[in-house]
Amino acid sequence: MRRRLPVLAMMFFAISPAWAQSSPPVDQAEQIRVLLERVQQLEKRVAELETKPAAAGAVVTAANIPAAAKPEMVPAPPPGSGHQHETAERQAATEQLEVHYPSLQIRGFGDVDFSATDQKGTTSGFNEGQLDLHLASALSRKVTYFGEITFNAQPTSVYTVDVERSIIRYDYNDFFKLSFGRYHTPIGYWNTAFHHGAWLQTTIARPDFVKFGGTFIPVHFLGFLAEGNIPSGGAGLSYNVGVGNGRGSPISRPGDAGDINDNRAWVANLYSRPARLYGLQMGVSVYRDKITLLGTQPNGNNFREWISAAHIVWTKETPEFLAEFANVNHRNILTNFVTNSQAFYAQVGYRLPWLERTLKPYYRFEHTHVPLSEQVFTNQNLVQSIVGMRYDITNYAAFKGEYRYFKRLPTDPWVNGAFFQTDFTF
Amino acid sequence: MNATNKRIVTFLWTILWASLALQSPSTAQTRGADIAVVVNADTPVTDLSLSEVRKVLLGERQYWNSKLPVVLLIRAPEARERDVVLRVIYQMSEAQFKQYWVAKIFRAEAATPPRIVYSNDMQYELLTALPGSIAFVDSRNIRAGVKVLRVDGHLPGEKDYPLR
Repeated sequence: MRRRLPVLAMMFFAISPAWAQSSPPVDQAEQIRVLLERVQQLEKRVAELETKPAAAGAVVTAANIPAAAKPEMVPAPPPGSGHQHETAERQAATEQLEVHYPSLQIRGFGDVDFSATDQKGTTSGFNEGQLDLHLASALSRKVTYFGEITFNAQPTSVYTVDVERSIIRYDYNDFFKLSFGRYHTPIGYWNTAFHHGAWLQTTIARPDFVKFGGTFIPVHFLGFLAEGNIPSGGAGLSYNVGVGNGRGSPISRPGDAGDINDNRAWVANLYSRPARLYGLQMGVSVYRDKITLLGTQPNGNNFREWISAAHIVWTKETPEFLAEFANVNHRNILTNFVTNSQAFYAQVGYRLPWLERTLKPYYRFEHTHVPLSEQVFTNQNLVQSIVGMRYDITNYAAFKGEYRYFKRLPTDPWVNGAFFQTDFTF
Repeated sequence: MNATNKRIVTFLWTILWASLALQSPSTAQTRGADIAVVVNADTPVTDLSLSEVRKVLLGERQYWNSKLPVVLLIRAPEARERDVVLRVIYQMSEAQFKQYWVAKIFRAEAATPPRIVYSNDMQYELLTALPGSIAFVDSRNIRAGVKVLRVDGHLPGEKDYPLR
């Protein structure tokens, strides 16, 4: 005990000054100065109000606020106050008040990648990724244009330029918005959540069954779309319903220059963002089309397609959880032969609390099954696990590193791969 | 441990806890004023639930009615009003908030981000001039000519008011 007492005494005397330093006593002169400044501000404001006519109409004013909300402390005046500050503020206010149409805003996304795998026949190396430009322009209070253009490095040519989205939207109110153009098809979650902005998504790449250039679901859609909220109280229901050209030729493209057949495709998507569970979204989608394959097929080249999909996501980052499932049903119109292909993924991530919350480890499991009897798709089987880490260098740029372990066909060997990406928005 | 040592230990612990109690500021001292939800006086709304305020701020509700769009005004970083809005309503960090609006526009769900205001004066100027505008104001600085909304049935200063 005799040994403990001096230790306790030393701890106490060591800690006490530290507390004292962390919250010094308020200087009275400083308080008076701040109060005087506050009085001057209030006097100035009173003078302004006296010169203006009182606002008409029954409005709730400061007088209606309970006494507990009355001033009790004086906020410090903003730094840099003075004539220059007021002029800058006045200019900012004027800019905010002025509305110009059209008001074009451009934002870009880009990424640079590196990959290396032990798969035979592949080479390791860097990849330019996509350069993506997004355009948003209000044409009036209720009409807006959105566009997305990508520049893609190609092995056989220098670059290709693609119009990914081009949409003009008319808003009636929150319950009905009508748009025309080329979209990312509202099937499931990922396809309309991240578009071509790699920086927005946690992982380096999209899930395989929604990848760009893939055929499992029609990633793009050309036609019209109605969307909006559904009055549903706390259920937070919303919808998208669209009619368009459907799959073109090749089936990965949406028939930009015209439909390949006389049949229109349609899509319906219903999702819920419950008010009580902020961050949760769950939904279901259906897509119906007639596919016409080019060339002569032994059993006919027309197929009916039904896609049904469901998703559930928790978009907060502690943790983040995304899961989607899709079933693609194809029926040969001539023979009535039916095939079903399924794909799903589940992804979980967690924003770590350290290092200013810049680190986010994640894991994704993906599975795609296409039966051997499938008549429209080539084989897309996949079993894949991805473990990775995202590091946000700034608010607008990130580094990502991933290890992937996957195989396509049951007879294929497992492949190990390391993938790295830096992506950004500008 | 003899009686003298016990008394010394008790004394030191008493001093230690008393120091802690004196050093830690009281709740009333640290708690800032409530943040009022104020709208342009002509906006046809008087009462919103916290989840409805959240829908407005998230850009999921963009119209007060079919003729009147919502105009979101948010204080610039470092303002206490912004801190409370991000913490209580958005439940996001500054970085997440910025990313949210980049994504929102990228998804074609909104044409513009919230308008940034740098002071109370600027905020009131825009609030009175822009129909459908909504802003978040320290309840000690409320001025005439705008409408203060009840949130979950409470006005700023009332016991269960959620924005503080």
